[in-house]
Amino acid sequence: MTSPFFIAKPASQYTFEQLAEIYNESRVDYIVPMPMNAKRLRDYVVQYDVDLGASVLAVNQDNQVAGIGMLGVRAERAWITRLGVIPTRRGRGVGQFIMEKLIENAGARGCTRAQLEVIDGNEAAHNLFDKLGFTTSRQLLVIRRPPGAPPSMPDAHFDALSSDHMPAMLAQRRDQPSWVDETRSVLAAGSAIEGWCVRLADGSSGWVVYRASPFQLSHIVMGSLGGELTGECARALLHAVHTQHARRDTKVENIPAQSPLWSAYQAFDYAIEFTRIEMFKTL
Amino acid sequence: MSRIVIVEDNAQNARLAARLLKKAGHEVTVAEDGEIGLRAVFEQQPDLVLIDLGLPDIDGQTVIGLIRENDSTRTSRIVAFTAYPEDTAAHMAKAYGCDGVITKPIVTGKFAEQVAGFLKRD
Repeated sequence: MTSPFFIAKPASQYTFEQLAEIYNESRVDYIVPMPMNAKRLRDYVVQYDVDLGASVLAVNQDNQVAGIGMLGVRAERAWITRLGVIPTRRGRGVGQFIMEKLIENAGARGCTRAQLEVIDGNEAAHNLFDKLGFTTSRQLLVIRRPPGAPPSMPDAHFDALSSDHMPAMLAQRRDQPSWVDETRSVLAAGSAIEGWCVRLADGSSGWVVYRASPFQLSHIVMGSLGGELTGECARALLHAVHTQHARRDTKVENIPAQSPLWSAYQAFDYAIEFTRIEMFKTL
Repeated sequence: MSRIVIVEDNAQNARLAARLLKKAGHEVTVAEDGEIGLRAVFEQQPDLVLIDLGLPDIDGQTVIGLIRENDSTRTSRIVAFTAYPEDTAAHMAKAYGCDGVITKPIVTGKFAEQVAGFLKRD
């Protein structure tokens, strides 16, 4: 798409400090503010395969940045993220310009499908994505648990997973994770990944893999070692996680609202921070 | 006079909040991110922490958790200072054991009084 008002510049022409500043300015009045410093943005780019060469800044004729959008690329799939328009430069089609440029860049990289998430309640963005042909897939919950010891659980046998076993367990996943929870995203944290295997007295068993950064637990993925993961097994796995890290805050992004695991999280006092809507478009 | 630490990355909001609280007679320290905020809280053990939930380095909730988990600051008065929708803000503040919430934008005529209300509580 061409625009008489803007040109698109690749994000790779900017430093992480500049990108973080532009992104924060574009989200200053966002429905759920999620500012990032340069380090956090750099980690985000690495962990979620954001292609800065395909990510876009819209620049006006006075060389002022009007907005930003980022593109993650994994094989033939693209993920649109960190989209924002600077408040004083809104209402001139900046968001649509950036979106069309990102979709064009995704196609140029051989992607056949694009996906994104929009926060429930952000009607302007949702309407734009509808207009561009994205269709709603599902609701995703962003949930949190403050530090604290978990409720007690019946006896179970726990084993820590080795770094070799964790990728093998994740390879058995049967869920349909969102982009940020895909196995590639989880493993990108490297040595910060931990995992447990649990066997209950009734013979059921399961595994959990999660990211344990210095201040926060995140990216919790659970699965079964045979058959469906039972609610009791999921609770036992969460018990292992929160017993091991009772003093750490936890944030889990993008649990499907219909997931049977949500009730297990609720049993451990997780609260919904906000809801996202996942959308897809065939390119 | 009370000692107040404001943890807020938006410089304009931080300046305004600090100006209003100083005018009301309080001693105010502004921290622009979670790490600086934590250091200020641990060092100063203020009477009140006003903390934004969306911070650029560490989530505000995570910072609150760290304050609550530290023996010397466990009982600190903490007020979430946020642009989250009111119900989300209240929900998060309750879950993380905050003493209350002040939602943005700042209402200049009421802000110092809102803060004073939290300082007066037992």
